[in-house]
Amino acid sequence: MLHEGNVVVQVRDLYYTYPGGIEALKGVNLEVYQGEVLAIMGENGAGKTTLVKHFNGILKPTRGQVLVKGIDTRHASVAELSRIVGFVFQNPDHQLFADTVYEEVAFALRNFGYPEHVIESRVKWALNLMDLWKYRTRSPFSLSVGERKRLTIASVLAYDPEIIVLDEPTAGQDHLQKEKISEIIHLLRLMGKTVVIVTHDVEFVTEHVDRVAVMARGKILAVGPPQRVLCDPQLLREARLVAPQLVKLSLILRRHGILNEGEYEWRADKLAPKLIKVLRSGADGGSPGI
Amino acid sequence: MEALRAFRFKRENTVIDRADPRVRALLSVSLAALSLYAQSIEKQLLIILTALAVAAAARRLKRLAGVIKAALPLSAMIFALNWLFGPGTGLVQPLVLALRFLALSASLSLFFMTTSPDELSLLLESMRLPREYSMLVTMSFRFVPTLALDVEAVMHALQSRGLELERGSITRRVKNYLYLMVPLIVHEVRRSLMAAEALEARGFGSPRKPSRYRELRAKTSDYLFIALLAAYIVLFLAL
Amino acid sequence: MIVRMSRLSYRYPGSEDWVLKDVNFEADAGEFVLLVGPSGCGKSTFARVFNGLIPHFYGGELVGEIEVCGMDPREHPTYEFAECVGFVFQNPENQLFFTSVERELAFGLENLGLPREEISRRVEQALREYQLAELRDRSPYELSGGQQQRLAIASVMVMQPKILVLDEPTANLDPFTAVRILALVRRKTIEEGVTAIVIEHRLEVALPFATRMVVMVNGQIVDDGNPAEVIARQKHVVGRPQALELVERLIQAGLSLEVEKPSPEHIALSIARAYKVGEHAARRKRGSPG
Repeated sequence: MLHEGNVVVQVRDLYYTYPGGIEALKGVNLEVYQGEVLAIMGENGAGKTTLVKHFNGILKPTRGQVLVKGIDTRHASVAELSRIVGFVFQNPDHQLFADTVYEEVAFALRNFGYPEHVIESRVKWALNLMDLWKYRTRSPFSLSVGERKRLTIASVLAYDPEIIVLDEPTAGQDHLQKEKISEIIHLLRLMGKTVVIVTHDVEFVTEHVDRVAVMARGKILAVGPPQRVLCDPQLLREARLVAPQLVKLSLILRRHGILNEGEYEWRADKLAPKLIKVLRSGADGGSPGI
Repeated sequence: MEALRAFRFKRENTVIDRADPRVRALLSVSLAALSLYAQSIEKQLLIILTALAVAAAARRLKRLAGVIKAALPLSAMIFALNWLFGPGTGLVQPLVLALRFLALSASLSLFFMTTSPDELSLLLESMRLPREYSMLVTMSFRFVPTLALDVEAVMHALQSRGLELERGSITRRVKNYLYLMVPLIVHEVRRSLMAAEALEARGFGSPRKPSRYRELRAKTSDYLFIALLAAYIVLFLAL
Repeated sequence: MIVRMSRLSYRYPGSEDWVLKDVNFEADAGEFVLLVGPSGCGKSTFARVFNGLIPHFYGGELVGEIEVCGMDPREHPTYEFAECVGFVFQNPENQLFFTSVERELAFGLENLGLPREEISRRVEQALREYQLAELRDRSPYELSGGQQQRLAIASVMVMQPKILVLDEPTANLDPFTAVRILALVRRKTIEEGVTAIVIEHRLEVALPFATRMVVMVNGQIVDDGNPAEVIARQKHVVGRPQALELVERLIQAGLSLEVEKPSPEHIALSIARAYKVGEHAARRKRGSPG
């Protein structure tokens, strides 16, 4: 079980006000544990991206504190923090610039001063992992949307940061790319990385994460396992999140007395057998509920 | 980036905002002209104070004060250069020149601070500039804050991959800033193509004569404004 | 038929490969056509044929038969389609050109050369209908993503087009806001008989509104029809929402379900109905009064 001992990111009473005067974070407290997959959810403008931009020091607290592996982000440069926290931005077009796919991935390694033979093996490893080694001599701009997305992930994985932040990894991605991203997250988990995902995608979250932090209006409303957080209709309403499909469905079935109070499944393969049993027993004259 | 943010026009509802943009243009141009004409320290100060007073009426005193503060170093340089190398010997002439720079900055900023890109395009159209050009002006102003956000996004993305923009020698930093240009240019070219598509899809470029939803029409209060401005100019010149 | 295309093929200038291959497509007033397919399959290219952005803006070669609002896009420039086809793009930022909502709404109408009274009437109506009245003087960067997209839709709808083409209109929006935007589009199809062509990857978000689903792969339409049936056939390409997977599992187990619409709410109700029917039959079998 996760416990206090291995906190890798600690956010203490964080306030952030943008230069324009917009108060985006209003007292956020959050702990990210080593090796967990954490999702940060909330509607557009809830402050999710603002929060994670503090993890590698792109933004510095207006008030409060962010500690990354014990380092106060106010006293470290973005480059220093980025070696610990790799950040995959939502839009690949904001960061691709090199002539070749290979150089794109080598860029960060060169900035961090790795020797050339290490760079070579790391780039090869990361590109292979993302299934892009075959494109190494091509221009990043010639890749498809999904490939560009994977390239940005490769360029972060290459320098092996301990914590990886993914901002909206599935937004605008088609079904196959989403599956690939699922696999990547699974892989990162196996590699023992700490993963923070900013996302709207509830169905994706239910499959992949250990904990969900729900944000609204610059605050964290709740943190906990998805089984608890994403099944709380009142919380979801407050955060203007859409419940996972089968949670929605189960709520209605509960009202009809088909499922019991507090009973949820969000995978069809788990819910189907239960329902089949109830529906059959209903037909046989058995008692309602399970 | 802060400089680009200033282009985010913020609409207020004050006497100055409600005035016809042509009146505001006249006001700014008049103040600038008076500043060019005036040769005394007092008169230059009077123009700066007038600009500040108008800004206060438009609830933008702080912003105008910011502009003046930003112009101070350059103004000090003008003073120093004229004092050291200028033709005269006294302090008056260099000081007038330095203050004139501040007065000009203040009076011209006053206009841009209170005039939205939309109003600017109406102003240009009322001066019989073709619609294509007025749209060009509107859109350039409209997209400056967007560009600023893009610059920021690109900067953040590359910094996160270890690009040091905060330290190192000047040449190194300049070189590092050049890295930003590639994604930025690619991104902006794409953006402008998409905007061009969107313009066409909404019927822009049709040979039909476009009509006008809004046209500038001077109100009684605008004439009052002009009368007031005329009185001010006469008094100023009489002083 | 407001749109009629047959054996339509297209290739970009300087390219040998056809991006659209032998596309046959027809659409009627009031349809909400959900267009899906992997990224790069030609959906966006297809969408741009409707108002002649292809071939006029992009160049290239468009062959086959095509008629939109009785016009051939090859023979009429894009601006002539403004009154027939409203086009909404993925990123609202790039389609809002003015610093006030009101001016934005008026822009297209000015381009049509309508008299000022008519422009004013339509602008006022749109301000009310799209709940933009309070935002009248706001500039785009003072609007939320959802408000921006609502404005983008309103500013093409004021021209009273018969067809509305939306190219991933909600990719950057949270599901809650996305659903509201698509509900707005659905209302237009019901109340005014507008034909909507909507590209969207998130089936959970778009399915409740679609009357028809078209799947495109490699520039060809590979499936076209009732959304639930299309998904059942194309799940490997487009993915399948959990609620629909549940339905299939229940049906496979021999339960009879009649699902009106592929939304979790409708599915839950049909399960509840099946349960009641089963219960009723069981009671009758036992001979107890109904």
